[in-house]
Amino acid sequence: MTTAGRRPVVDMALPSSGAALPLSEERSKVLSRLRGGDAIFRHVTRAAAISVLLILGGVIFSLIQGAAPALRAFGLTFFVQESWNPVTERFGALAPIYGTIITSLIAMLIAVPFGLLITLFLTELSPLWLRRPIGIAIELLAGIPSIIYGIWGLFVFAPFLQQHVQPFMIDLFNCVPLISTFQGSCVAAPGLSLLFAGPPYGIGMLTAGLILAIMVLPFVTSISRDVFEAVPPVLKEAAYGVGCTTWEVVRYVVLPYSRVGVIGGIMLGLGRALGETMAVTFVIGNAHRISTSLFAPATTISATIANEFTEAIGDLYTSSLIALGLILFMITFIVLAIARYMLLRMERRIG
Amino acid sequence: MNMASVQSTATSVPTPVSTSTAVSGANYPEKVSVRNLNFYYGQNKALKNVNVSLYAGMVTAFIGPSGCGKSTLLRILNRIYDLYPHQRAEGEVLIDNANILSPGQDLNYLRARVGMVFQKPTPFPMSIYENIAFGIRLYERLPKSELDGRVESALRRGALWEEVKNKLSANGLSLSGGQQQRLCIARTVAVRPEVILLDEPCSALDPISTAKIEELIDELKNDYTIAIVTHNMQQAARVSDYTAFMYLGELVEFDATSKIFTSPVDPRTQDYITGRFG
Amino acid sequence: MFDLYKSRRRRNTVVLGLSIAATAIGLSWLAAILGTLLWEGFSGLSLQVFTEMTPPPGSNGGLLNPIIGSLILTGLAVAVGTPIGILAGTYMAEYGRYQKLTMLIRFINDILLSAPSIVIGLFVYEVMVAPMGHFSGYAGAVALALLVIPVVVRTTEDMLALVPKELREAASALGMPRSKVIQKVSYRAARAGMITGVLLAVARISGETAPLLFTALNNQFFSTNLNAPVASLPVVIFQFALSPYPDWQRLAWIGALIITLAVLALSIIARALTAAPSRG
Repeated sequence: MTTAGRRPVVDMALPSSGAALPLSEERSKVLSRLRGGDAIFRHVTRAAAISVLLILGGVIFSLIQGAAPALRAFGLTFFVQESWNPVTERFGALAPIYGTIITSLIAMLIAVPFGLLITLFLTELSPLWLRRPIGIAIELLAGIPSIIYGIWGLFVFAPFLQQHVQPFMIDLFNCVPLISTFQGSCVAAPGLSLLFAGPPYGIGMLTAGLILAIMVLPFVTSISRDVFEAVPPVLKEAAYGVGCTTWEVVRYVVLPYSRVGVIGGIMLGLGRALGETMAVTFVIGNAHRISTSLFAPATTISATIANEFTEAIGDLYTSSLIALGLILFMITFIVLAIARYMLLRMERRIG
Repeated sequence: MNMASVQSTATSVPTPVSTSTAVSGANYPEKVSVRNLNFYYGQNKALKNVNVSLYAGMVTAFIGPSGCGKSTLLRILNRIYDLYPHQRAEGEVLIDNANILSPGQDLNYLRARVGMVFQKPTPFPMSIYENIAFGIRLYERLPKSELDGRVESALRRGALWEEVKNKLSANGLSLSGGQQQRLCIARTVAVRPEVILLDEPCSALDPISTAKIEELIDELKNDYTIAIVTHNMQQAARVSDYTAFMYLGELVEFDATSKIFTSPVDPRTQDYITGRFG
Repeated sequence: MFDLYKSRRRRNTVVLGLSIAATAIGLSWLAAILGTLLWEGFSGLSLQVFTEMTPPPGSNGGLLNPIIGSLILTGLAVAVGTPIGILAGTYMAEYGRYQKLTMLIRFINDILLSAPSIVIGLFVYEVMVAPMGHFSGYAGAVALALLVIPVVVRTTEDMLALVPKELREAASALGMPRSKVIQKVSYRAARAGMITGVLLAVARISGETAPLLFTALNNQFFSTNLNAPVASLPVVIFQFALSPYPDWQRLAWIGALIITLAVLALSIIARALTAAPSRG
């Protein structure tokens, strides 16, 4: 057992007070060498972190710059004009904005109840062995690339709707045995007849909304699931103890407690629906028109950009498309910021 | 700066605490001396005007009820609190007469001289050999044979060599709790510090591992200055030469262990030792 | 009183029944999509797909150039985006953990994570394609890299934050400078999670079409010149699926199957990595 390298404890002196022993000198040298690299690493990581902010700044800045010509040419009328004419170079964003909002609305109206019901099933009803597989299945839905939804929508879903669902609904709400052989009674509601009118194309706003609903569903489910499971069991037990049914426990205890988180998840899904491109482009029909019927073809901001950008000639055309992109970015930014804020509040509560 | 005047520094308690010369004479020099130390967590003052000394080659135990500041004090001695933004220290801590709290102090250099073993065994996620070699490699470039020798001697000092010599490449996490802690001690010793700080090293361990580590401390004190924080008074009585009793952020009494446990001066010390609170 | 109880019971049963129905419907969507994909895609799958270039309509061919193109673009995007993401996540979890700046960056990063990818494509167009005067594979790779970065930042930060602080303290207590503590201890402890993050990022960009539409564009022929348009699987699928030619549509389905299988494989590997306890 060597005693080399272990000197008597007492006389370990610091460099300033005279006899600096080899050990301490060696060590100072090593440490001062390491110190430089230490600082570099710190600065490099900091720069990388700040670059995230720069990316956002860059995106906003370049979008504004690219959209400027169009906005200058049309001013605020850009937002309310329906016509979109590359020939006369008159561009209005109303149709894409309308399409974006309506399709997302349809998507949320369907995805939210569905998602919450599935979450209810997963957290309260389903047997333990089923939870993991179903959870994984729902995540798979989220992982499927959007272009797959697009071609599935185009080749499978739209024809299905066209042949079986749409004629039925048109007749149902219009009371005219025009297309299908449906012989039953019909619902004479004037609003609804407008909503579901027109030839059954298969593609259109409703179809796009339905596809979006399927895409958004996993987001709502997984975030709701996380917040539902974070509810303290004692709270639920107290409610059960008073004699509440499962549904009542969810409605009066779980949902209010996790309300903020659930809304955050919904907003997140909304953000995704608003910005979704590929799934929508295949099935929306790409018509710059505003119609009351959900069966009519329409367009969304992202579908317009995806379809027309590479063929756009003329600076005003390109600039108008970029202006559309700016609008989309602003809308999703606000929605996502609200979503993150809500989720932050939820996290702080859970602790 | 002369030793005698330093040794008779009074604490803030009304009755001045005498540092008795009962233990093998007062010839042991002061390795670490803490002067007028105040410490803050944010706005919260955790240490109030603490004055204490660690003597070279001695084991000094810090005892006291939870929250009294003993771990806080220990963590100042290697300035590990510096990793966290809202903690700060005021006062002086002299190691070999140089104040380590000064802004110019090189922290990595300090921590090479003052090693620490934590309450929870923290083997790095590497092999046993690597855990020891890690610290050595930081400061020295050694050929493999020499490195092997250093690793072996560190593991022997940590009373672990016999148990692991055939499985040096096994993951550090595969050892038992007591072995992991001895690994951490070996790792600390491998870097050749002068002072070793032990923060409740046995509180997560079973009695047999605890006994082994206490034996280890007894051997190590020949070559290092050791400070140990423990909430187990009997352990303090067993292993230490000097004991400091702390309460609510103040150093209440500091004296030779035999004196503290048989005839403490301050009534608070008396109460704690006899178990009236704690 | 009993009637009230009965109606409550009824309501409960109805809702629970609806939840089962909703789950069944949701799962059947998944089955329908995957089923169709497998059906349409598998029937055309052959060695030819991997060895021949995209054909003009009406003749036989394969998907070689888009597959290679996608691999190159994805590889490049990951090579560029991962280091930036890891370094940024490291700063946020280690050096700047309690800073306000970090909170801001985390917030912005999470927004970028879910931002519409077509807007990223527009940004890269403005910044690279327009000034350069032509579409290029480099622009496509940059657009994908911008999608990789937020994912890697998020997972790196989360994984590093999970490393217990005692481990860091123990390494610091040996005198190790901060950067070495991070590189040799934190990274090592969080390794599995960080790799998972990269895999998830790859899975994400594998299916992205929109950002490539006006950066890398498309290329009918086999080319590895990154300074010119490069074919990629998603863009080819987009083009072929919307065309009126059946053999192109067939190739679109096959391409879709390939992408989905790749994404599924990556997700499974990522899951396996985080599930298995890391042994050193």
